[in-house]
Amino acid sequence: MQGIDTVLHTTQELIAIIDLIIQALSVPFVQRALIGALLIAIVASTSGTFLVFRGLSFMTSGVAHAALGGAALGLFLQHSGLVPWFDPILGALLFSVFVALVTGYAGETGMTQKMEVAVGVSFALSMSIAVFLMYYIPPTQVPQIWGYLIGDILLLNNFDIVLLAVTAIVLVLITLIFNKEFIYVSVDMEGSIAHGMNARAYHYLMLITSALAIALATKAVGAILVYAIMVAPAAAASELIKSIRGIFIAVFVIALLSELMGLVASFTISASPSAIAGILAALTYVVAMQIKRLRNRVSIDLDQLPQHDEEANHVLLDTLDTSAHEGHDH
Amino acid sequence: MEQQFLFEVKDLAVKYPNGELALYNVNFDIESPTFMAIVGPNGSGKSTLLKTALGLIKPVRGQVKILGYDSARESKKIRKLVRYVPQRDRIGLSVPLKVKDIVLMSRLLKKPPPRFASSKDKEIARESLKRVNMADLWDQPFPELSGGQRQRVLVARALAGDGPILMLDEPLAGTDHESQDMIVEALGDYRNEHEVSIIMVTHDLNPIHTLVQDVLLLKNTVVGVGTPCDMMDMELLEKVYGPTARVIEYAGHRYCVTHDSGVDRHH
Repeated sequence: MQGIDTVLHTTQELIAIIDLIIQALSVPFVQRALIGALLIAIVASTSGTFLVFRGLSFMTSGVAHAALGGAALGLFLQHSGLVPWFDPILGALLFSVFVALVTGYAGETGMTQKMEVAVGVSFALSMSIAVFLMYYIPPTQVPQIWGYLIGDILLLNNFDIVLLAVTAIVLVLITLIFNKEFIYVSVDMEGSIAHGMNARAYHYLMLITSALAIALATKAVGAILVYAIMVAPAAAASELIKSIRGIFIAVFVIALLSELMGLVASFTISASPSAIAGILAALTYVVAMQIKRLRNRVSIDLDQLPQHDEEANHVLLDTLDTSAHEGHDH
Repeated sequence: MEQQFLFEVKDLAVKYPNGELALYNVNFDIESPTFMAIVGPNGSGKSTLLKTALGLIKPVRGQVKILGYDSARESKKIRKLVRYVPQRDRIGLSVPLKVKDIVLMSRLLKKPPPRFASSKDKEIARESLKRVNMADLWDQPFPELSGGQRQRVLVARALAGDGPILMLDEPLAGTDHESQDMIVEALGDYRNEHEVSIIMVTHDLNPIHTLVQDVLLLKNTVVGVGTPCDMMDMELLEKVYGPTARVIEYAGHRYCVTHDSGVDRHH
């Protein structure tokens, strides 16, 4: 009897949870969060993957912080009455394009290290401008600037969704049309130019679209989620998967699952869904590295086993033989 | 018919990005078609000469003409004629491109986007891989190949392309003997079958000296231009490689021995 009771009890609990999920799904802000999660996963699997291919994962955080400086500039221009129509988002987009241009200029020869430095410098410059301008912005407005960094996927409004959707659609279109060019630029910039492709134009196109996508995504869901979702899934996938299409799909799946688990977890324990998604996404990278290491170890062992050459054995035995004789002589 | 020149170089001076002079006072002409080797030790400006010819670097003085086109003003036209293979370590390995994708690059780069590969493109790519004995690795990820295999794929990339000039930057550096022989043989055969010029940058003339027609000996300026036998000269080689260079005659061929030959260092 007791057994049946427990079973009944668990079934009831399950039904209650499913009920809760169905109820939650009918709440508009949850719906918006789910759509937002899907769109961010698309942004990650396009822009994020190309940035990791290009060795520029650091650009994500550089651009997100530059957007902050731009937003500060926008607020300053609005409140000082200099340019009243200047929305902070315009400033954010402007600054993110600035980072992309500086990075692109440094990397025209195809040197990744130089681009990393350029990201670092323009990042520092934008943050300095932000902090400098905060002094001249009414204190009540300052939290709006920080809001660019700490956005929340549960607080998306309809405008955010439209913005994200447009970003995702444009990114998918550009990726479908220009994926070969972006890959060629990442693999062999010099050779691409030498064969007559306008590699420089594609180099800038890739960096600028990525920068705009990062800035818009940051505005919508906050920097924490953008960092975690733009970089970690792409890094994890490219450790393990050996086809480009496979990487795009894997990044989308990892990003989406991390976000959904983050959302579900945020209902059961009170925690930020972005933070949980970020931790999960980062964990996939750690796990991917461990799997790769294990895999390498196994394949090396297998390679070495059959390579016991007959001739080498003979030579080895001969040397052992002579040394043994020498041993007797002494 | 008027004689066409592959290279016409007049009073050329080029600087490295760091401001040092890479090439100065460079003057030479080479007739087309030919198999040409640009030889010299590390840092002698060999790669820089190729890049200048492609318009990737602007000269500070003088000019380079490739088949009559000026490299500074008409680089677009030159790039239509050329199939270029940069030094192997300039190829990024962070993207898991397949061997076929690398070989198809030389054909797809000359098409407008979206650059789809036709069945003819694929057939030519396969044929080119066969020439360097790599056709079996068609679907393998390029970054996982050995250095020699990667170099063979890159040579196949040049063979698969269109255009009358092949430019190869150190295609034999850091390769095993098997790959080296295969690359040399493939280039020789291809040149016999097609109306093309091949320009090869190398720090070691020995593996190719039986194939090559013109040799440019370079040490930031022209030390010598001529046939391989003319260039296998003690005095000239000493100028380029220093007093330790030796020329050895064996089985009717001259070989030069330098600190550079067989050493895999390159920039």
